[in-house]
This record gives sequence, C-alpha cells and structure tokens, in this order.
Amino acid sequence: MLRYIIRRILQFIPVLLAVTLFTFVLMRAIPGGPFDHAGDKALPPQVVANIEAKYHLDWPMWKQFLSYLVGDDLLGEEGPSLGVIRGDLGPSLRYRGQTVNDIIETSLPVSAQLGFMSLLLALIIGIPTGTIAALKQNTWMDYTSTFAAVIFLSIPNLVLAPVLIWIFAIELGWFPVATWGAKPPFFLGIFPRFSQLNANYFSHAILPVFALGTSSAAGIARLTRASLLQVVNEDYIRTARSKGLREQTVIVVHALKNSLIPVVTILGPAFAALVTGTFVVELIFGINGLGKHFVTSIGNRDYPVITGVTLIYAVVLVIANLLVDVTYAWLDPRIRFD
Amino acid sequence: MKKNTTLWLVISMLIVSSMVLTACGGSGALAEDPVTLNWNWGTEPPTIDPSLATDTTSVDVVGNTFMGLTRFDPVTGEVIPYLATSWESGEDADGNQTWTFTMREDVSWVSYDAETGKVSKVEGHENVTAHDVVYGVKRTVNPETASDYSYVLYIVKNAAAINGGEEGVSLDDLGVAALDDYTVQFTLERKAGYFPAIAGMWIANAMPQWAIEANPDSWTEPENFVSNGPYVLESWVHGGELNLAKNPLFFDADAVQVERVHGVIIEEESTAFSLYENGELDSTSVPSAEIDRVKADPELSAEYTQIPVPCTYYYGFVNTKEPFDDVRVRIAFAQSIDRQGLIDNVVKGGQIPATSFAPPGIFGAPEPGTVGLAYDTEAAKASLQAYLDDKGITIDDFNAMDIVLMHNTSEGHANIAAAIQQMWADNLGAEVRVENQEWGVYLDTITKDTAIEEVPHIFRLGWCADYPDENNWIHEVFNSDEGANRVRTDNADFNALTVAAGEAQDPAERAALYEQAEKMFAEEIVGYAPIYHYTAMNVTQSWVTRNFPPLGANDFYNWTVDEAARGN
Repeated sequence: MLRYIIRRILQFIPVLLAVTLFTFVLMRAIPGGPFDHAGDKALPPQVVANIEAKYHLDWPMWKQFLSYLVGDDLLGEEGPSLGVIRGDLGPSLRYRGQTVNDIIETSLPVSAQLGFMSLLLALIIGIPTGTIAALKQNTWMDYTSTFAAVIFLSIPNLVLAPVLIWIFAIELGWFPVATWGAKPPFFLGIFPRFSQLNANYFSHAILPVFALGTSSAAGIARLTRASLLQVVNEDYIRTARSKGLREQTVIVVHALKNSLIPVVTILGPAFAALVTGTFVVELIFGINGLGKHFVTSIGNRDYPVITGVTLIYAVVLVIANLLVDVTYAWLDPRIRFD
Repeated sequence: MKKNTTLWLVISMLIVSSMVLTACGGSGALAEDPVTLNWNWGTEPPTIDPSLATDTTSVDVVGNTFMGLTRFDPVTGEVIPYLATSWESGEDADGNQTWTFTMREDVSWVSYDAETGKVSKVEGHENVTAHDVVYGVKRTVNPETASDYSYVLYIVKNAAAINGGEEGVSLDDLGVAALDDYTVQFTLERKAGYFPAIAGMWIANAMPQWAIEANPDSWTEPENFVSNGPYVLESWVHGGELNLAKNPLFFDADAVQVERVHGVIIEEESTAFSLYENGELDSTSVPSAEIDRVKADPELSAEYTQIPVPCTYYYGFVNTKEPFDDVRVRIAFAQSIDRQGLIDNVVKGGQIPATSFAPPGIFGAPEPGTVGLAYDTEAAKASLQAYLDDKGITIDDFNAMDIVLMHNTSEGHANIAAAIQQMWADNLGAEVRVENQEWGVYLDTITKDTAIEEVPHIFRLGWCADYPDENNWIHEVFNSDEGANRVRTDNADFNALTVAAGEAQDPAERAALYEQAEKMFAEEIVGYAPIYHYTAMNVTQSWVTRNFPPLGANDFYNWTVDEAARGN
C-alpha cells in the first residue's frame, strides 16, 4: 500500500508539470494582453513596453516559462521570481502590489471553509436520504426524496442563492445578506480563529452552505440510492441474511459500505471543486473566496493568477483522487493495490 | 491517562495560540462610536499607488488619502485649489509654457498605527513639500515604475522621451522643478490651458519617497502606508474590505464629518442592493432589473438619484473599409439611429442622446443636440441612395458586402446592437450582421493595425473623462496623430484644429475651436456615430448627505452622516 501511495505521488510531478505548461501556453495564445488597455483606453506602445519589461513579458515564451518554473536566479537572470518549485507563484498583473501567493493566502481559506461545510452538509443529507429511498423503494418516501433531489439538482445556484437571500435575509431577517464571518489571519492558515467561531460566523455561513450543499446532496442521494439498490441484490447480501444477521447489520455493514464506492468516486472531484471555491455562490453572497479568480483572471489576462489557481486546483484534485483510491481498499476488501 | 494528558495539552495550546492570534488581529479603536459611512467599493482596488492607479475604485481610495495640487469642485467640476493655493502660467527662456504652483505649508505626511488607533506625523518628514511633488511626477514618468497613465503627463517637457527610454534624456531633464520648498514649476512641451486639471490628477500627487523606497512592493499595505489626505488607510483585507479612518491632522480636519469609511467589496450589484435595503450600506447603484420597482416604491424613489456620468457610448466606423470609406454611407448610418427611442425602450436609464462626443460638464463640450447629425430618416435614405446611384448598385448589392457590427460580449451591448440593427433595416433597408467577441480579444481586433479584412465595419466603444476638458476627448481619441485612431481617419485640417484648440489661451477661443472640431468630426468627417451620454442610477439613505462629483474621486470628506437619524 505504501509503495502504491509513493508511486502515485511521484506520478503527480509530470501531471502538475503538464497542467502548468498547458495553462501557461494556452492563456498566452489568447489574443489580447494584460496591459493593452486601461478600461476602454488603449495605452501607447511605449507604456505597454515599460510594463511588459517590468514583468518580463518581453522575454521569449520558453524563458518566461522557465522563469516561472525554476526562478530567475537559476536562469542566470535578474528578477524577482523564485519559481513554482520554491513555492513562488509570481506577481498578479492585475492587482499590482499583490502576489498570487497573497491572493491564495487570503481567499483560499475562506473558500475551503465554505466548501468543506457544504460537502459535510451534502453527505449528512445525501447518504441517509439515498439510503432511505433505496430501502423503501417505490414508496412515498422514495418518491418524495427522489423528487426533492431532482428539484435541488435542477435549480441552479444562480437562482437559488438570490431566492434564499430574499426570503431568509431580507424578508425574515434571520441571516445576514452577504459576506463571510471570518477574516484573515486564519488559524493554521486555513481555519477561522477560535474567537471568530461564534454565532456570527455560522449565521453568515448558513445560507451559502445551504445553497452550495443542497445541489451536491441531491447528486449524492441519487447515486447512493442507485448503488444501494444494486448492491442489495448481490449474492453476498443474500449470504449475510441467510447467516441470520440482523437486517440493520446487513444494510449498514455489508450493503451500504460497498454501495458507497460510486459516491466516494465523485467525492474526489467534488471536494476539489468545492474547496477551491465556487464562482456563483461566492459572487452572490459577496464572499471573498478563490472562486472569482478562476473566472475574472481570464478576462484580465492575469497570467500568473490563472496558472496559479489552476495549479492549486490540480494539486487538490490529485490529492483528493489519491485519497479516494485509498478509500476503495477500505470500502471493498476485494480491491488491493500492489 | 497518558493519552488524556496529551490531548489536554494540545487543546490548551490551541486555545492559547488562538488568543495570541486574536490579539495580533485586533484593530485599534478610533473614537468610541465614529461617524461611519457604510460603503461598497464594488471591486477590489487593483492598486492604491497614485502612480499606478487607473480605475475609479483605486482613484476613490487615492483621492481620499492623498491631496492633488488641484481638485475638481464636486458640484461644478471646476478646477479649484487643494494642495496648491494658487497657480500662474508663464514662459521659460526657450519660450516654453510654464505653470507655477504655490503650495500650502500646513499639510503633513501621516501614518496610522493599527494597534493604538492613532494617526501621527512621520518623523523627519513632517511637511509635504514641492520636492515630494517633483518626486511623485518623476516616479510616474520613470519607465521603471511602469505606470499605465504615465502618458497623461506626456504634456510635460521631455516626459514622453524619458518614458519611452530615449537615449540622451534622463529624469533630471523632466520639466518639473521645486523652485523652493513650497513652489513647484512645470515646463510643458506645448501650451496647455487645461494643465491645472492635469496637475491635480493622482499620477502627479506628492509621494513619500522614503516610504516607497523602504518597501517598494508593499508600501501601500496598511502597516507601511503614508499619506497626506483627509483619510488614512485603517485596514485592507484584499478582496474583502478596505476601511478608511479620518486623519485628525488633516489641514482642514474640522470640516470632515465622516470619521470612518467602512468599505466592503461586493462585486455583485444585486447583492449590494440587498445590503442597502437591509440598511447595511448607505449608498449603492441600482441594478437595472430593480429600476421599475425603485421608481414605484414611495421610500426608495425618494432616495433615488439619476446622475449624469461623463462618459459617451459610440459606434465607430472604420473609415477606410468599403463601403464606409464613403462619407455618404457613414452619414446614412449615423443619421438613422433613433437615439431617444433606444434610450426609452432599450437602455431605460434616462441617458442623454448624443450627437457629439464630449458630454455636458466637460470644458468645451457643445450643448447636447446642437452639434452633429440628428435623427432624420429622409436625409439618411437620400444620402445612402446618392451613394448607391453613384456606384451604380442596388441596395441588394450593398447588402451583399456583408456589413458587420461588432461589440464586446455583454447582454447590454447585444440589446443595443439588435435595436440599432433593426433601425438600419427599417430606415435604410440595410442589412447588418452583429458579432461579438470577448473584451480582450475584441480590443485586439479593433485596433488600427488589424488587417482591413478582419476588422468589422462598425464597432462599439465608450470613453470616459480623465479630466474635464475637451482635450481629453476629441483630441486624445480622434486626432489621428495622437490617439488610438481605431476609426482610421486621416484629416490634417481636423488634427491641426484640435491641437490649436489645446494651445489657445483664451477660454472662450478654446471653447469655440473645440466646438468647431466637434462639428467637423461629427458632420463633415462623420468618423463615428455617437449614441448616448451615460447616466448612473443611485440610491442613498436619507441620513446621508453626499455629492455626486462628475469627475475624480468620491469626496467622502465633504459628505455627512446623521447617525441619530440612522437609528430611527
């Protein structure tokens, strides 16, 4: 098992290198640069040249990439870049004075807190609902939960979030309209400080967590239901029952555990997507997360930010997928990694 | 038992460390209950470095923390004294125009200490002097600073050469000098009656050399920031909130009523509007979807203001692309746009129909509707027919030329394009194809260097004022020797006219020359079709008294908040 994990981690290196290279090249292939204009105004060529020289955008592409990757000193050039290998994701071209590391440090923890709570909510709602629906197949409970799942899957957050704000924040006044309850500095760089973990923090979190969590919960519920329905018809379940095990043990220990494999499979990408930020929910709830940087940095042609956030997403994704694969072995004893 | 001890140790360490962190994060108190303005910046300011700022949010922060030599009157838009008390124009030995500014002597450099909540003068740099202004101007022009707006200062002697890295000139040759500690003199490349407006812009601010050199990349962070205006930077959580606190050492501090600006950064307009309705914001823009409700609601309609914004929306013609290389076609297209109908039925914001370029409030701008081609379908049709007859073609042959109107991707632009496309079809029988591109790609497409086959016949753009003078408009945008010249005109008479207008010294003469230039470009050259002058829709709580400055930063220091009324 350990050898398997080490091998997988070594495989991350070419994957992440490829992600960096593709993002780097693709973004620069799009017409229009970060400094061609200020607002509607075109900038004179010498002004653009000054700015490009400052950020080394006048270097040939291969050299820019190497500088981004390993740093200026290893290239024998003068410049501020230490390279991705030393954890320097470069300066933001749009937010001058901030580095990509600064941006991630401020906004990733907020996204991670929101995403983690949403995923937790999704699991807490999704798995029991799916289980009940499967065990009570074709009863009113099944129909109700399937119907609810379809509803929550089909309402986009773009619609759900403003409706939640309107009902629960403006009309009823139960929760704040927008913003997040914790500010940097964060505990261990990610968690809210203990002093911030109060009613204010959670009242800010409830609506966005609900908006983000319910659509994932709906997907998990449907998947759990389908998978469990398949598993309960397997031979080993019949064996378990014929051994005289209690129905509760049969379902929880034998059936549910195995039926979670498809659920765990989607949890990897879902975790990566939720934890690195979601554009729409963060935008509508005015949450200072990483989600917006995935979108706005493209319009801004903020090359280092695009590459940096994509790389962060890729890292979280490959780690989440590794955890998923390891979990398989625990969920299903027939799976072995050697 | 052993396990338990370890667990307790870990928990108590976590508690202690969180307390330590809290202590570090606490911000210093101002007055017990400062008079607070709850504001939404709308977007994270890309920078608050005066040399680098270009967008309205950054300029708002810079304008409230720094003093320009001059500023605009928030009501009339006139240039009035600020850091400079007076200025006069003269001539140097070589006959170049000079502008000499006499500065206040009671303005201090201050910094804010978040722990004590105190604002104090910077030791060794108590007073803002002419040398600080000289440093600021040189810093903006220095190519190493890489300032976007450095080109606005190209009017200053040698600025363009220095900024362009020309050999043989250095920063010492720049036309700016401190005559004494409180007198600064600019020498210009050519005469400019509008220069006092430029001198007040953020890029020409006095800047704290020692603070910038100590932390070149992070001097704008709250712990390093040094400023001289009515407010100091209290705290800045990037992307989350930026708060300002009153500078009690400001020379006119007694006149500043708002003691704290609590500024959140909410990008989504409808969310900001919800916050406003919940009483959490004191002023915000009205999303277009809410306009009808705001106007109908008795309370909201009383808080609603429609304000003119010095920006113009226009369709540019590519003057060298067939059939738009013929003025009769351009006249026909410009004259068959029903601007009022477009405003009433499509954009709906009470905009002002535009037939010329610079909007009201800009020095030299013609009265709307007096210059340019008004909506006249008969004349438009006749103009197009004259072209068709001359070329010996029919309207079908004309339509076969596949005329393209392009805009950058946006629902609003698409709606306007669809409406105008229909007007051209109804009024002229002309068929136009509408295309759109993503903003960055679009700006690349419509430059004057794009091959003629790839550029659209008609493109949409907007222009907003940097300073309230026609020079910033008809000259900087449409003079083909100066501006981006996306419309690809080449008219020596017109170019000479806008230059002459900028150099004229008598205001009445300048205004008359600009009007002539506007008239020539809109009626004779017909390089473009102006569509409308912008408006903004705002709601402000009844307890706030504010200005809507037509230009420059929002002047929080002139606003008032009635905290007692807010409670009710």
